[in-house]
Amino acid sequence: MQDLIIGMAGSGGDGIVSAGESLLSAFAEEGYYALLSKSFGSQIRGGESSCRVRVSPNPVLNSGGEIDVAVVLNWEFFLRFSGDLSVHEDTVVIYEKKSGVAPADIPLDVKLERVFEAPMEDLAMQSAGVLQAKNNVVLGLLTEWFGLPEKSIVNGIVKKFSKKGEDILQGNLKAYQAGRNYAVEHPLGIHMKLDKPRLEKNKRIISDGNEMCARGALYAGCQFFGGYPITPASEIMQYMQKEIWKYGGTCLQAEDEIAGVAAVLGASYAGKKAMTATSGPGFSLKTEVLGLASAAEFPLVCINVQRGGPSTGMPTKQEQADLFTAVFSAHGDTVRPVLAPINAADAFPTTVEAFNIAEAYQTPVIVLSDQEIAQSKGILPVIDVSQLKIVNRLEPNAEELKSYQRFKITETGVSPISRPGMFGGNYLAAGLEHDEKGAPSSNGEMHSRMNEKRLQKFNPLKQREDLFIIEGDRDATIGLIAWGNVAGIAQEAIRVARTEGIKVKLLIPKLLYPIAEEVFNDFFKSLSRCVVIEQSHQGQLYRIIRMWANVPKQFTSVSKSGANRISPREIIQLIRVMGQPKTDKFNSHYCDLLNLI
Amino acid sequence: MIAPDSDNIGAPKSCSCTVKDYKSDLKPIWCPGCGDYGVVAAVYRALVNIGRPPHEIAFVSGIGCSSRIPGYTTAYGFNSVHGRALPIAQGIKMANPELLVLVAGGDGDGFSIGGGHVPHAIRRNPDLTYLVMDNQVYGLTKGQVSPTSARGTKTPAAQYANIDEPVNPLLYALAYGANFVAQGIPADLEGLSKLIEEAIRYPGFAFVNIQSPCVTFGDPENQMKAQKAKVRKLEAEGHDSTNHLRAMELAKEYGTSLYTGVFYRNPNPPPTYGQQIKEMQNQYPKKTNLDALV
Repeated sequence: MQDLIIGMAGSGGDGIVSAGESLLSAFAEEGYYALLSKSFGSQIRGGESSCRVRVSPNPVLNSGGEIDVAVVLNWEFFLRFSGDLSVHEDTVVIYEKKSGVAPADIPLDVKLERVFEAPMEDLAMQSAGVLQAKNNVVLGLLTEWFGLPEKSIVNGIVKKFSKKGEDILQGNLKAYQAGRNYAVEHPLGIHMKLDKPRLEKNKRIISDGNEMCARGALYAGCQFFGGYPITPASEIMQYMQKEIWKYGGTCLQAEDEIAGVAAVLGASYAGKKAMTATSGPGFSLKTEVLGLASAAEFPLVCINVQRGGPSTGMPTKQEQADLFTAVFSAHGDTVRPVLAPINAADAFPTTVEAFNIAEAYQTPVIVLSDQEIAQSKGILPVIDVSQLKIVNRLEPNAEELKSYQRFKITETGVSPISRPGMFGGNYLAAGLEHDEKGAPSSNGEMHSRMNEKRLQKFNPLKQREDLFIIEGDRDATIGLIAWGNVAGIAQEAIRVARTEGIKVKLLIPKLLYPIAEEVFNDFFKSLSRCVVIEQSHQGQLYRIIRMWANVPKQFTSVSKSGANRISPREIIQLIRVMGQPKTDKFNSHYCDLLNLI
Repeated sequence: MIAPDSDNIGAPKSCSCTVKDYKSDLKPIWCPGCGDYGVVAAVYRALVNIGRPPHEIAFVSGIGCSSRIPGYTTAYGFNSVHGRALPIAQGIKMANPELLVLVAGGDGDGFSIGGGHVPHAIRRNPDLTYLVMDNQVYGLTKGQVSPTSARGTKTPAAQYANIDEPVNPLLYALAYGANFVAQGIPADLEGLSKLIEEAIRYPGFAFVNIQSPCVTFGDPENQMKAQKAKVRKLEAEGHDSTNHLRAMELAKEYGTSLYTGVFYRNPNPPPTYGQQIKEMQNQYPKKTNLDALV
């Protein structure tokens, strides 16, 4: 098998997430690619927890749709994750024998011959003497039944438990062995063995989108971080609190979201590259200060790790519904760039790019990450920075400092920016409208000229084709658009569809705003049908594109509210329907995916 | 005895600047007779004595009449958004500890919309000087009651008698743990400029409440002339400014007695935020941006 998705769920104490992490490390050691997503109940401790691991010898584009193997330690808890751990009819189900449910009666719609009960609790007690060893029994079962790398898994167990004493280590190794033995004695009779990875063992890193945002920022030269704890963005601040001092920078865990971004603005005014990170509700609080940053033309980066909303919503679930607020929450005639990474690895260059744009155009830049990208741990290729530039802000030269004008109207709209400490560069920064020197002004003509300055400076940004990925057949008549974590799902889907002979193309915008009209119009030229796939109820990007671009006649939104996984399988099916000549399904603004396919 | 300004790494550079060098060309929008004219004059004088050149000073404010003050100096100014001057100033100071950072605003800015930031600035103890021009009214929005308006206050924009208990800025600052708390009035220009100078020299967070009357919407019975008549100088009354409890007792009289001078000055200043940050940075081996890749 080239591709395997394992989903597991149990109670918090079952160590299911820990087992997923062990698998991820083992896969990394062997040279596989994999992605681990975790999902928890809303309890602080205990309650239910689950994880899914997708593994392949090839790069993993997304965490996949329906799982291939379901490991159920507790039925009640497993079923609470029906959105994260949906099954298909061929899913192999392995469940705890003690649950007392007959294979024919399990509450999942799968083929009976693919349902197996296993005495995981008993095996743990017999081998290790403790229930906590259950997760290693699971790893033993999976190793034999699905051809997982035994040596690396054992290495992982040794690494994890050797600090806890010889008895505990031996107990867990015995539990693992007991699982293997049971699996050998009870073959499934289904051939599902994972292919070996290619021999070239390129260096890999295990990381997630939040860490990659933080690392990207430090690479770009970020010297200040200000923030406030919020799920699912807190890990960015935590990484900075641990690391930024070593880079000569400083970090402030502020008293609230507003103070966090305000301090970032202060640091930027003082001449440093600075960043904040938050999620939807925190982003709302930051919008006034972001408006000031636009008016006073200060570079800063604000990462919004989207979660289910509005309000507290579903803080541990992914959704792409903060696009409207990122684009439209600014007051006044404001444009501020919005970027979105497509996966954890991409979070690094996207954050570097956000700093570059912020510094080049003296503007706040919003990076729309999401819970899936931010918190799924992946085996990633080592970051390639050969194509990455680092841009610094334009400072005034000695000549310009002689009669310095902070907001000088230039051809590009960008004017050299001084910083306190720079002799001759003194000026008044303000949210008040101002003249070229920075003196407050409420003159209508001045306001109009300054608005023009602040808006026209983004024109070159709209020509940045490198902020878009286009894949597939250039002259195709059907096309897809997807962004953020859904992009990888669409990529996988069009690759499969094209092997079936369907001509289709995909546009992935990493620059979501300002809308690069020409890039979109060019993509649309050959199309008669186009669907925007999104994880939001309204289809927010779909609607924003309609505001600016010349969309094809059959231009439709296919979207789902957050926490309802879009599977590559569904998108492949969608492409097949799109390829059929006669259908009127694409004439409405909105198509329900299930009715469509 | 004034403690050395230890957070200004590299020692404060001196210049032989005069008031003219700190005064900008902008004409204040303040009404004739506004107390804030006296405040800005006192700031110029204090800065002359401190001797830092204008380009090494960042002067941050929020929004309101008094928050226009940075623009009337030649320092690097930042007239920001309502209530957020303190966190912005902290970001500036953390990013460049060598700057002299002044923060100013009104009572609404500091104790209403931005009230949540005051305790946190105080507990971190960055080397900032916070000047609040307390006039007990919202002047820029034309006369609504403010967080320091006394009960029963009536203004042209608030015809009902205010039923809210006012906050006590002095007592707040002392209770939050500020190490330097003072009060001045613009009518006593010399005294005020000395207080501001002392606050700037104090290492760590220093708070100066300035009862700066609003000539247009303020209490006609409480203008500069009246203040001059009822002011009581703490120094003349023999107040020991190292006595925190006594300072709090005197601060309780806010709204009834008008004391000026230093209420409290911690004789043993605790480490500033900047000093602690330096220590943190020096603990680790240095990294370059390429280390972010590994």
